[in-house]
Order: sequence, then C-alpha cells, then structure tokens
Amino acid sequence: MIIANTFFTRTVRTSPAIIIALLVVPVLGGLLGVVLPAFGWFPALGATEFGLFGFEALFATPGIERMLLLSYSTSLISTLLAFLITTLILASYFNSPWLKRIQRLLGPILVIPHAAAAIAIGFLIAPSGFISRLFSPWLTGWDTPPDWLFPHDPFGLSIILGLALKELPFLLLIALGVLAQPEIGSVLKQQHKVASSLGYCPMTGFFKVILPSLYGYMRLPILAVLAYSSASVEIPLILGPNTPPTLAVAIMQWFSDVDLSLRIKASSGAIVQILVTLSLLLTWWGIELLIKKCSAAWLTNGEREHGGMLIKRFTNVVTFIMISTIFLALLGMVFWSFAGFWSYPNILPDQFMTMHWQSALTQMQTPLFNTLVIAFSSTVLAIILTLLALESEQQSNKTISAVSGLIIYLPLLIPSIAFLFGLVWMFEQVNSQHTYLNVVFAHLLFVLPYVFLSLANSYRRLDPRFSSVAASLGAPPSKIFWKLKLPLLISPILIASALGLAISFSQYLPTLLAGAGRINTITTEAVTLANGASRRTSAVYALMQMLLPALFFILAWLTPKIFSRARV
Amino acid sequence: MKSITIPSLVIENLQLKQQQKTLLSLDEEIIGGQVLTIMGPSGSGKSTLLNWLVGMLPSDFDATGKLYLNGADVSNIASHQRHIGLLYQDPLLFPHLTVEGNIAFAMPKGNKQDRLDEISDALKQVGLSGMEKRCPQHLSGGQQARVALLRVLLSKPKAILLDEPFSKLDSQLRQETRELVFDEIRRHSLPAVMVTHDESDALATQGKVITLDKLI
Repeated sequence: MIIANTFFTRTVRTSPAIIIALLVVPVLGGLLGVVLPAFGWFPALGATEFGLFGFEALFATPGIERMLLLSYSTSLISTLLAFLITTLILASYFNSPWLKRIQRLLGPILVIPHAAAAIAIGFLIAPSGFISRLFSPWLTGWDTPPDWLFPHDPFGLSIILGLALKELPFLLLIALGVLAQPEIGSVLKQQHKVASSLGYCPMTGFFKVILPSLYGYMRLPILAVLAYSSASVEIPLILGPNTPPTLAVAIMQWFSDVDLSLRIKASSGAIVQILVTLSLLLTWWGIELLIKKCSAAWLTNGEREHGGMLIKRFTNVVTFIMISTIFLALLGMVFWSFAGFWSYPNILPDQFMTMHWQSALTQMQTPLFNTLVIAFSSTVLAIILTLLALESEQQSNKTISAVSGLIIYLPLLIPSIAFLFGLVWMFEQVNSQHTYLNVVFAHLLFVLPYVFLSLANSYRRLDPRFSSVAASLGAPPSKIFWKLKLPLLISPILIASALGLAISFSQYLPTLLAGAGRINTITTEAVTLANGASRRTSAVYALMQMLLPALFFILAWLTPKIFSRARV
Repeated sequence: MKSITIPSLVIENLQLKQQQKTLLSLDEEIIGGQVLTIMGPSGSGKSTLLNWLVGMLPSDFDATGKLYLNGADVSNIASHQRHIGLLYQDPLLFPHLTVEGNIAFAMPKGNKQDRLDEISDALKQVGLSGMEKRCPQHLSGGQQARVALLRVLLSKPKAILLDEPFSKLDSQLRQETRELVFDEIRRHSLPAVMVTHDESDALATQGKVITLDKLI
C-alpha cells in the first residue's frame, strides 16, 4: 500500500519506536539502577568497588529464609488454588447457564484494586471481623474477639486467601473470554459433546478433552498471575506477617529506610526477588511437565466416570463459600464505613453514621485530585500511543514483531519492585524534579500494556475494506483515522480507557517511589490507613478505591449506548 | 412400546416445540444397518432433532415422546449414558491426543495391548496403517474423517447420528468416505439417523428420507 508522506503518517510511523523506547529505557535502566548497587557500586554512598557484600548482608538478615519461603509459598499456593477453583467451576458448570451467572457475579471483582481487596478481607478475618461475629456467640461461645493471628498470621494464610480471591475472577474471566471466541469456544463445546456421546460424564469429558486445549490459552495469564503475586506488595503489606514479612515488602522497607546504606542490601534483595519469581515460573513449568507425563495414559484409558457428582457437589460448596466470602468482605467494609459504636459480637453496628464519609471526603480532596489527574494523564498518553502504534501496523500492513510484543508486556513480566527503585535512581540522574511527571511516567509503564492488550484485538479486527472504501472516495489517512476508525472503535476505546484508569487508580508502589512519598493518592492513603488507627476511615478509602474504577467502567459502558440512542 | 427383535432406534410420537410452536413431529423405527435421512432447510429443526436424540436439547426447546434404543427407553437417560455416537461435518479430533489416543479415548476400558492391537487393525482396514502416532492436525481432511469414524465405531455405540458428515469433503473424497461410513454402519448393524442438505448423500443411504418444512 502506498501511503502519503504527511505529518500524520510520519507520526504514526514513529509511534511504535516511541512506545518501545518508553518501555525499554525505564525498565532496563531501572534494572541497571538496581543491578549496579546490588553488586556494590553506589557512588552516592562512596561505594565504588564491585563486590557481593550486598548479598552477604541480605543473607545475614535474620529471618531471610522465612521471607523467601513466604514469598515462594504464598504465591505458588494462591495461584494453584485460584487455578484449581477456576478449573472446578468451569468443569462443573460447563455448558450450563450457571457459568454466565457466576461470571456476572465475579466480573466486578476485577476492578477492585488489590489494596482495597486486601483491606476488605482483613476486615472479614480479623478477630472482631465479620466471620467471627457471624458465628458468635451462638456457635463459638465467644463474647469477646478470639485471640487469633488473622490477618498477619506467620504462615501467610491470609496472604494466600487475599491473592487467591483476587486472582480467581481474573483467571475465570480469561477462560470464559477464550470460550466466548467463536472459533475456539464452539469447537471446544462440540468436542465436549463428542466426548459425551462417547460415554464420558460431563466432568471427566471436561478434564480429558477441554482442559488440555483450554490450558494452552490460559498459560500466559497464569504465569503473569504467578509473577505478579510473587512480588506484590499491597496484599502482603496489609494481610501478611511483619516478623518477617515477604521479601518484596522487606525490600520496600529497606529502600524506604532513612539509613541509605540499606539501599545496597535492598538492591541485592531485588535481584533475589527476580530469582524467586523465575524459580516460581520454573516450578510451574515443572508441575506442568509432571502432570502432562502422569496424565498421558489416564487420558486414553477409557475410564469415563471419576466421581463427577461428588466433585460437582464439592465445587458447589466451594463456589458458594467463595462468593459468600467476597460478598461478606464487601458488606463488612460498607458497615465499617458507616459504623458508629459496634460492640462485639453484634453482626450489625450499634449505630450507623455518615460522619466517617463526611470527614474522609473532606480529607481526601487532595489525594482524589492527584488520583484523577495522574490517572487521566497516563491513560490519555497510553491511549494515544496505542492507537498510533496500531494504526502504524495497518499502514505498514504487518503486526508488530514478537520481540516488540514482548517488550510491551515487559513491565508486567518483570517484578516491579526490581526495577522501580532503579527508575527512581534514573530520575535522580537526569535531575527530574517534577514529581508529578515522574509519577505519571511510572504509571504509564503499567497502564500502557493493559491498554494495548485491551485495544489491539478490536483495532486489528476492524474490517480493512472500510479504509479502502474511504480512500477510494479521496479521504487521506488522517481523515480515515479520525473520522472513520475512531468513531467505529469508540466502545473499545472507552473500555480501554476505563481499564487504564482502573490500573492507574490501583498503583501503590509506583506512586510511592516515583512521587518520593510526596504525592498522595487514594490508594497510597488507603494502604497507609489499612494498618493504622481507624478501621472506619480505612473502609471509606477502600470503598472509594472500588467506586472510582466502577464509575468509569459504567460510564464507558453507558456512553456509546446513550449516543447511539440519541442518533436514532 | 413396539416389539424389538433386532438392534433398533425407535422414535415414538415425538413432538419438538419451540415457544409453543411445533417444530416437528416424528414417529419412526430405524432397524440396525438402516439410515434414516432427514432433509430440510436451515431452521426446520434437523439439528434440534439430533440434539434431542443425543440428550442435549437446549433449554429453549420442549419435547414430548419416547426414544427406545434396542428396546430400552432412553428418553430420560443422561446423554453420556445413551451410547449414541455422533459424527459431525468437522472431525473434531482432539488436538492434544495422537490418532491412536483419539481412538483409544473412545474405546471401553480394557487390556492396554489388546486395545492398541485393535486400533492398529482398525486403522489398517481404513488405509491408515502406521499413522497411530501422528497428530490429527497433520492428517488430510479425508484421513481425519476416517479417524473420526473409527473413533465412533470403536466406542461400540448402539446407534449413530450423522450431522452433515460429508459436507466439507470434496466430491471424490465425499463418495469414498460416504461408502466407507455406510458400509461400516451396515457391517456393525447400527441404526443411524443422518441430517443433510445433499440429495446425493440421501440417495446413497438407500433408506427412508424425510423432508422437513421450515417453521414459519
């Protein structure tokens, strides 16, 4: 295709390179900014000789083995749990209307930021939390809150619960998204029918026929969940133990410590964190191989029934408990946000009041303003860059290379704790004093991959004949882009924008570090308050964290409908 | 109930309805080795009939009537316990299993070596000898259709349903595969129901043909 050489087409042509540079430079630069201090080179502290003393200090830290074990075990077990329950739900309700109902119930959970989810679960399982109140005193006999360690239990069970409940809806919706694709879903459904006609009970048919194919489409999201949970900070910070915490939380504390010498140990910790994440990915790969080897004979042994009814009943119970837990966690948080005095073990607060909302809304004006400005700036930038890059694909008639595709997802694959501190060091090196811009830039690293992921399919599926027809009528590429493609893609653009905003709203570590602690958002405030004094104020902030993304998703969903109705 | 002496599929007073409107009425007996052909335009209820026969009628349809398989009432038996084999226009071979795996999947439990020997013999009979370890994706359309047929036959079904099974094959292959399928149905004495748009398929069965009208 011959494309006119205009300012628009030149901008479009350079956009993929801009995206790659925007992602590669900070991530690799950030990694370099961690690798150098990790091996002892930190001129600001007078350390100009390479060595392993950072690692020596790290491994001499009391409780380091426990930190490593906590990071490894909580992420592996939570991902396994989320995957197992997802599989059980799919197997039990495959081809049943219940699957859509569960999807509708769990879908909104996706927009809840990790910090808000952790706060809600913390309220649920605390000694005076909703669960303990629900069963007291009639079942437990407790008149005062029990002496248990949840949340913050030393074994990381609360972290596992928090991560599993947050990741499960994501994995389930990914699987349902795959099944909703006509070219994949309808074949899998027909194959399930074939298995059934060959005498396989629906449950066994699912495990022997559907899962092996479906898993291929779920592998990358599962690995992303595993990588994320191994280095996540918000949930372990709010639900995890303190003595010692997970490695990622410890690294964050060392980096934030006033004692600058701890930076070298923190940098070494960040390198070890990458190794922990890698070892988790390798473990998962090993488990995959083992299951594949062990199940090869089982798949074709002709056994058609494996306690399907029993598994289905078990899944019904697990699904009920899971949905109830999420519902109770959210309900508990709403109660706390309106609670006056709430004596134990009453299920409802003794008095309801709006005082916490009123005072919190007055206090949160600045954080709310910061949250919105940063989110809008990073999302608008991400949308513009993504649209230009996708338009460049269509003009050059080829999709971006596999390497470029991988680079776009780089910030999601590398543990953020491993490169964000280096990024801050880079900001210092280029003497960037504009904290606001630094935060927007740091958010962009995480918003861009999701926006790209969300928009790419719709843009690539747009019928190319529309452009051909418009071009044949004399429309230049810029007019085709503005007047034809963007209006046609308004719904996916709005959904991608809502997703971008939601991702930005939920960022804790990038805001904290790039903003040098000087820029407060709803999320940073919510995390700070979660371990602080007032459960009521914390509930208000966590609810605001949930309401903001929900509001923009509703707007993104409603706006095209309103405009299309107005046109009729 | 009608008296049964040989393998048969009996559809007794079937009324298939959608939103109170009758989609089709049927009262038929298909003897083992015979093929009943159902023809008709899209929307006339052909696929719905197959779904009812196999026990997978979507919830927006209603059905009254009985289905007897070799004399036993299977109307209220779960789909996977009916022993009614299905052959679609797509072979729908499982991509994670080899040719051998696909067929073994369908066979009843038993001694591993006996099952493998049976698969080799069956593959030999349809000209696919030595293809046991092949991935289904690496077979031609005709080869895939033959593996799909073997998969159904070796599952030892009591009846077989054919949902436009030859519509995606070119004319030469279509004729060969058709002959093979109908020969096997006769050889195994299986009652069969075939849904098709193609008159040549219907003629080739040498059996009864029912043409449905489109519901208005």
